Parts: sequence; structure tokens; C-alpha cells
Amino acid sequence: MIEDLQYVGGSYPVHDVAQKVTGELVYGSDFSVPGMLHAKLILSSISHGIVKRIDATRAEALPGVVKVFSHENAPMEPFSRARIHPGQDMSFYDETLFSAHVRFVGDRVAAVVATSKAIAEAAAALVEIEYEELPALLTVDDALADSAPAIHEGGNLLYEHEIERGERPDLEGAVSVTTTTSTPRVHHAALEPHVCIAQGHSTGGMTVWTTSQGVYAARTVIAELLHLEYHRVRVIKVPMGGSFGGKTEYIIEPVCAFLAHATRRPVKLLLDREESMIATMCRPATTTTIRTAFTPDGELLDFEAASTLDSGGFAASTPDYSVHMCKKVTKLYRVPHYQHQGRAVYTNTPVGGAARGWGAPEMAAATEIHMDRVAAALRLDPVDLRLKNMVEPHDTDLVTGLPLGDARVRECLERGVVAFDWAARRARPAGRGRYRRGVGVAAGAHKNGMFGAFPEASRMGLKMNEDGTFELNASLHEVGCGIVTTMRIIVAEVLGVHPDLVAAGEADTATTPFDYGTYGSRVTYVVGACARIVAERVREKLLLAAADLIQEPVERLAAYDAAVHVKDERGRAIAYRDIARLTEMRAVPGIAASTTYYAVSNPGSYSVQFAEVEVDCATGLTVVTDFLAVADVGRAINRGMVEAQYQGAVQMGIGYALYEHLDVDERGRAGVDGFKNYHIVNAPDMPDVQVLLVEHEGDDGPFGAKSVGEIATVPTAPAVVNAVNNALGTELSELPLTPERILSALHGEEVPCSSC
Amino acid sequence: MQLVLTVNGMVHEIEARPTARLLDVLRDQVGLTGTKEGCAEGECGACTVIVDGQAVNSCVMLAVQARGKEILTVEGLAQDGELDLLQQKFVEYGAVQCGYCTPGMLMSAKALLMGNPVPSEQDIRIALAGNLCRCTGYSAIVAAVKAASGHEATPAMELPAEPAELAAEVTTDPDTLAAACEVVEAETGVTPGGPCAPSGLGDPFAASSPEGGE
Repeated sequence: MIEDLQYVGGSYPVHDVAQKVTGELVYGSDFSVPGMLHAKLILSSISHGIVKRIDATRAEALPGVVKVFSHENAPMEPFSRARIHPGQDMSFYDETLFSAHVRFVGDRVAAVVATSKAIAEAAAALVEIEYEELPALLTVDDALADSAPAIHEGGNLLYEHEIERGERPDLEGAVSVTTTTSTPRVHHAALEPHVCIAQGHSTGGMTVWTTSQGVYAARTVIAELLHLEYHRVRVIKVPMGGSFGGKTEYIIEPVCAFLAHATRRPVKLLLDREESMIATMCRPATTTTIRTAFTPDGELLDFEAASTLDSGGFAASTPDYSVHMCKKVTKLYRVPHYQHQGRAVYTNTPVGGAARGWGAPEMAAATEIHMDRVAAALRLDPVDLRLKNMVEPHDTDLVTGLPLGDARVRECLERGVVAFDWAARRARPAGRGRYRRGVGVAAGAHKNGMFGAFPEASRMGLKMNEDGTFELNASLHEVGCGIVTTMRIIVAEVLGVHPDLVAAGEADTATTPFDYGTYGSRVTYVVGACARIVAERVREKLLLAAADLIQEPVERLAAYDAAVHVKDERGRAIAYRDIARLTEMRAVPGIAASTTYYAVSNPGSYSVQFAEVEVDCATGLTVVTDFLAVADVGRAINRGMVEAQYQGAVQMGIGYALYEHLDVDERGRAGVDGFKNYHIVNAPDMPDVQVLLVEHEGDDGPFGAKSVGEIATVPTAPAVVNAVNNALGTELSELPLTPERILSALHGEEVPCSSC
Repeated sequence: MQLVLTVNGMVHEIEARPTARLLDVLRDQVGLTGTKEGCAEGECGACTVIVDGQAVNSCVMLAVQARGKEILTVEGLAQDGELDLLQQKFVEYGAVQCGYCTPGMLMSAKALLMGNPVPSEQDIRIALAGNLCRCTGYSAIVAAVKAASGHEATPAMELPAEPAELAAEVTTDPDTLAAACEVVEAETGVTPGGPCAPSGLGDPFAASSPEGGE
């Protein structure tokens, strides 16, 4: 079915695995610079108000305190934390380093810089702040009320959009179903909290070490805020303990850079867990109402949706996030008419922003819970209803007009049905006892980079060393899922050497070429395609160099197994290291290339997932007992890592469905302040997740590969919710399905209690 | 106050505040940053170390409580550059992604295996219940611990080969190499060294190449 390759499709650990298992790897939080100061943020304790007075006298009198910064002595120029390119559209400049008008509990009011973390923390407690409180608008409805005060100039309706495609067909005799699904605000929960280190230099420039997903974008924000030319600001990506979108936007980097610039000293800003939860950003909370019309036998005729996204105190990327919620359904289902209204609304709650899936998990929850309701209304099996309407390979996305490429979602569903033994499991009765079992299915669609919405390109250089090894110079941002290894495998495959003979470093604005970073499901598809092309260029040069040396026409040569071989002459070959060292001596160009790759397509990536759950009707607790994820990956570059990333994505999705939420109380304070009250699924509660890969290599990614990291979590939560609804006969659609919500959905039903 | 701590078999004399956490002393004073901080409240397990055979969260243990005890951190697992079996299995089974939870996972698993060399899968999952991971979904981690306790499955990952071995595998056939060296010599007037040179060192005074400046 797919071409057999030497290294692509194998399984390799992350490139720095040896340093990770020995504890040797220096993460951002481990990083230090001689003479380094430590900063501590002071966060707003109220949800909405004006800072009337800041008194830092007692704090600054504490030995070891260098200075306290706030709106009184820091630049008040607004910046956009989500902007990735100078002059970019959809960037909202509504945030300053420190707020004078605080907009949520957790908003940055001030920062203490001191010689130690302990002193900075002690001093932070001594800073006196007086606020004039304003009415707190803690829900979207509060914020949109006529009498509501403006959280930002211009009002609380931050962004509104509507899209309509196709013609509404005749709906005579159609069955119409309406549902409303809400998804919670959640914490990304990367195990390493946010951290940044910045050093101001006496030359006027600065170096920033950050655990960011995009250093070039961090530089545009930092340099412009501090009025420095870009070449004076060097931003280096350092090893990070996870991101999941939470380190895509530039939140603490500008603050830390300012503190270092102002003090002309190295400054480290390391957040604690609570600060990472409430003062960076969250996956935004959403509510989506969907009304569809189907023929009685299950053909989708019309899809109309209205979504509201709770942006929180600042815009961050939420307007774009909201727009992207409209680009998911038509990647998955064929429909003659699609209409979607969306709005992003400021509230006095923690900021929403980039999160794994960028609107897709939210929209998949709404769509796939809805599809199950339709299946029930039409008395169809949920699988059959989906099969009747799913896109076919090479369909066009109705909303974006882009070809969907070799879209294999149908095959995912068909193969999953067999592998999961869907029919038999679905036919099994849920039971009427205390423990009830159910199964659910959900599908999801996502993208491959930013082509179609933004100029999408990657740039890199590759050179051969004198011993025949290779070095890739690219702005890679490893977030933990093995992209450095992915690039090494791609280059190795093209050049016919083991991936261990290819080095690839991470991003550093001073030494690696411009690239956006690790987000938008762009790395494998776009950056990986660039790696393949630059390796092909180097292979051409390698063959030409070998042709010169062994006096053979280049057409007779082939590069594999670390040597250039003369075709049809067994045993006649010149090793790469001999080509390299001999060519170095000649007055000819070196064996190196650099290239820019512009993306040419943006196909759909798909996943269909199956969950089996057991619900305890006495306690309302749900356990996922079995799980299958089927993945349309085009082609797995690193098979073991694709499976492992899927397993982790399912864990995140189960948390989204059942446990995780970051709500605020009536005063706007987050109900959680750490992992003690924010539950991430742990080892005993995780099922053994089976992953089934569907591979066709039909698109433009390297060797046919498509994106994995985001799509993997897209359909997980609705698969779990649909399984719970199947077990209980309920219509739950407010995530997460906490025990309280499950018990209340049972309407006080008498539950046989076997153990009491 | 003065503290004497034995960390990975080495004795350290440390001056620390009575309220100092073991985690901070290990990271900031002993200089072992392999032990991570993820939550500071004993929930995530990233800071797990082994104290007298027991896995503990070093963020909620005072350094003074570890006085006179044997402390084992992730840095103490490998011996003379040789990975511990558990570390090897984490590599082989793809149990590491971002790796921030890995030191704590390893130490909880190590403590389990020290007390129970052949745990069941349920034993393993319970032993790791206090170690959160956001990347892996635990499957590969559990498989690695199982493998380290004798339940080998098919390792998920290809082990990194030794680069030296890889390079040594490939050689140029002598005739081809000699011809290539001749091409270079004809072009540059210099006999390439290494396997090209017929008798080891060439003549350093041979006027075969132009002097500098051209």
C-alpha cells in the first residue's frame, strides 16, 4: 500500500532521551546565569478594578530587593501576546506589561526583582496595593448586558463573525435537531510551569532564553516593546517540559525582558503552578448551539451553528480561535449549506488563548455530541449516520475552499468499527444496576499548517561535515513530542544514513533561519517537507561531488548506506566521509544547501475514536475502561512516537470530558490553585489506549506524512461523553461530566446500591 | 543550620534554613537539578526522590527530615555511565516525551522495584498514581516498568546505534579511493592524507602547492 522506506516508519526515542532519563538535561527552570536576579509577579486579587495606589516602600527596604516595577515605572505601550509577525492582522493590542486597570484575578499588577527567589517572594507580600473595584463581569451574559461597564475600550463584544456557504436546500420533510454544548476553560498543565530568563547587556542588547513554541515571534514582541532593533535581541529556545499550546503566546517573555533591560542584569521569571494556571492563559470556555436538518434516512441537509467564546480579560488569540471553530465541520461532513456565527467576549476571568487543537476539540465536542442526538432521533446507529455524511478523499472543504487531500476519515471509522467490535459492544445492554456500561464514537478533523490563512513557509540549511555526518540548521522548537527526531529521520531517509548521523539543533534567532515555530499542526507537514527538500538538494550536491571524484556521470550514481554507489557495479562505492574530506580540499562549493519551502496545500488530518465507559450511578464517577484511537496520519515518520503522542492526547481528552475545569467563584477567583484541586488523569485511571494508524501517503507532507499532535485529542472528549450518554440514556452536553452533573442527570433515580 | 546529607552515596555538608525544602537543597545547594518541581504541593510527583528506600515528594519534605538518611536522586541511578535497567527500559519503550515527569517517574518506579521486584500492572499503576504525566498517557511508562521487572514485551523504540559503529561500517573500495585521490591531487597538487597517502606522512616541504596569498 505504501512505499517501504529504510528509516521512515521506524520507532526512535526523542533525541535527548539519554539526558532526560539521567536528569542531565537543563530545562528552562533549571537554567541559570551568573549574577542572575529572580522576579516574582504580584497578581491582582480582584477581578475588575483600577489600581489606585501601589506602595513598594516596605518591599524595597528589604535587603536583597533590587526594585519593584508596576504601571508607575514601566512602559505602558500596549502589545499583542499572540502576534507572530510584524503588522499581522487579527492582533489585538490590549495588554500592557503591568495593568493599571485590572481585568481578572491573576492580572499582572507588579513584579519584584531581588537577589533570590525567596527574597522576591517575601518582598511581594510587602507591596501594598489599593484598588477601586468595578463590577465584575464573570460570565459572557454579564459582559454583554446593556448596563455592563466596558472591560476594554470598545466594549465587551471583542469580535464577531459570520460565515455562510452553499444554498439551503428544501427542508420539507426534514428532521431538525438542536443541541447546545458547552466546553470548560481548562489549564494546559504542562508539567513544567512557564519560565523565562533574560539578560540585558551593556551593549544595549539582550539575550532571552525561553521555553517558547516560537522564538522569532517572541522577538518581535520583545524588541518592539523595548524599542530595540531586532538584531540586538537574541531569543533562544531552551528545553521545556511540555506546552500543549500554553507556551505559544508571549506572556512572560516581554515582562522578563523588560525587567532585565531595566535592571541591566540577568533576571529569571519562573512561575509557580497557581500562576501558570491563572496568570498565563487557558483553553477558552465555549458554548455552541447547533441546529441541523437531516432527511429521515440520515442525510445531512443543513448545518447552522452559533458559538460564543469566553476570551477572559485579554483578547490573546481568541478572535482567531473563534474563527477557526467555523472551519472544522466541513472538513468532516458533506453538507449543502453551512452557516456559523461566532463571537468572542471579554469577561473578568482568566485569559483564554492558544490550546492544542485551536478550536477543533471545542467544535468536535459540539458536533459529535449533536450527531449522537440526531442518530437517536432518527433511530440510526451513530456509526451509520456518520458514514452517510463523511467526506470522501479529495473533497473540497466547503468553508475554506481548500482541497481536503487524501482524507481518510471514512476508512478510520470503518476500520475502527471492526477493531473495536463496535456492533457487539453497542448491542450489549448498559444494565440497570449501580454500574452501567456504554460505548461511544466520535470523529474529528484538523489541519496541516497555516496554508490558506497565512503565508506558510519553512526555511533551513543542511551541511555535510568532513566525516560524512550531517547538520541541519533549522528553527526547531521541541516541545516534547520528538520533532527533532522527526527531522533527523526525514533527512536520514533522503541521504541514506542512519538518523544518528544527522544532528539537528533548536531555534536561536541569532543562528537559525526564520521559522514560525511548533504550533498550528505545521511541523511535520510543512517544516518536515522543508527538511526533505533541503536534504534532496544536499543529495544532488553530494552526487555531483562524487561524480567529479570518481569520474562517472552522475546518472550512474546512487546515494545510500552512507556511500555513493556506482549503479550496476557491485562493490564500487565511495564512502560519504571520503567524498566530504576530499571535496573540502577542492576549489568547489561545499556539500551544503539552504532552502525555503512554501506550503502548497493544507489537507485534513483525521481521527476517529471509540470509548467504553463504566459509570457508577451511586457516586457519579466515570471510568474509561477501554479506548481505541484510529488515526489518519498519511504516513508515520516515527511510528512509536505517533502512537505515544496519541496515547497522551487521549489522556488529555478524557480529562476534558470528565474532570478538568477552571471555573471562577462569585468574586472571580479561580476555584483551583494547584493539582490538588485540578485533576489530571493519573496512571490507575487511564485505560490501555490502542492506536491504529491509517497510512496512504497521498499528500504533500514528507513521504506523505500529516499532522498528529493536535488532531489526536480532537475527538476524544465527545467519544467519552457519547459513551456516558449511551450508558445512562442521558443527553449530557455540558463538559466536564462531573459526578454532580451525572447524578443530576439521573434525576434522583433510585440506584441499586450493591455495596451498601 | 548545619546539615549532613548523603546523596547518591556522597556526603554533603550543607548550611540551610530549618524551613528549607529537601527539593531546594538538592537543586540549589547540592546542584542536582534532575529532580523537578511541578506543583510544590506533593501532587505531581516530578520531585520524587528515594529516602531510605521510600519514594517521597521532596517538595513537601524538609531537608532536615532527611538528615542522616540515604537519598537517591535520578542522577544516582546510572553507575559509571551505564544506565540503570529502568532507565534503559524507559528509552527502549518510548516512555519519555517532554521528560519533565521522567525523573520522578523513574524514582517512584525504582522504589517500587526495590520493594517488589515483580509487581503486577496494577501494582505499577498504583505506585505511579502520584506521578502526573501530560504527554504519554502512561502506557509506555507502565510497559517500561514492566519490562524492567522481567515482563518484556516488544520494545517500542529502536535503540540509538553507536555513531562510531555506523561510520565504521562503510568504506570506499581501494581502487575507487585511489582514483578519487588522484583527481584531487591533479587538481590541487596536494596528496590527500588518510587512506589516500601511500606511506603515511607526505613530504611537508614538497613544493607541490602554491604558497599562501593566492
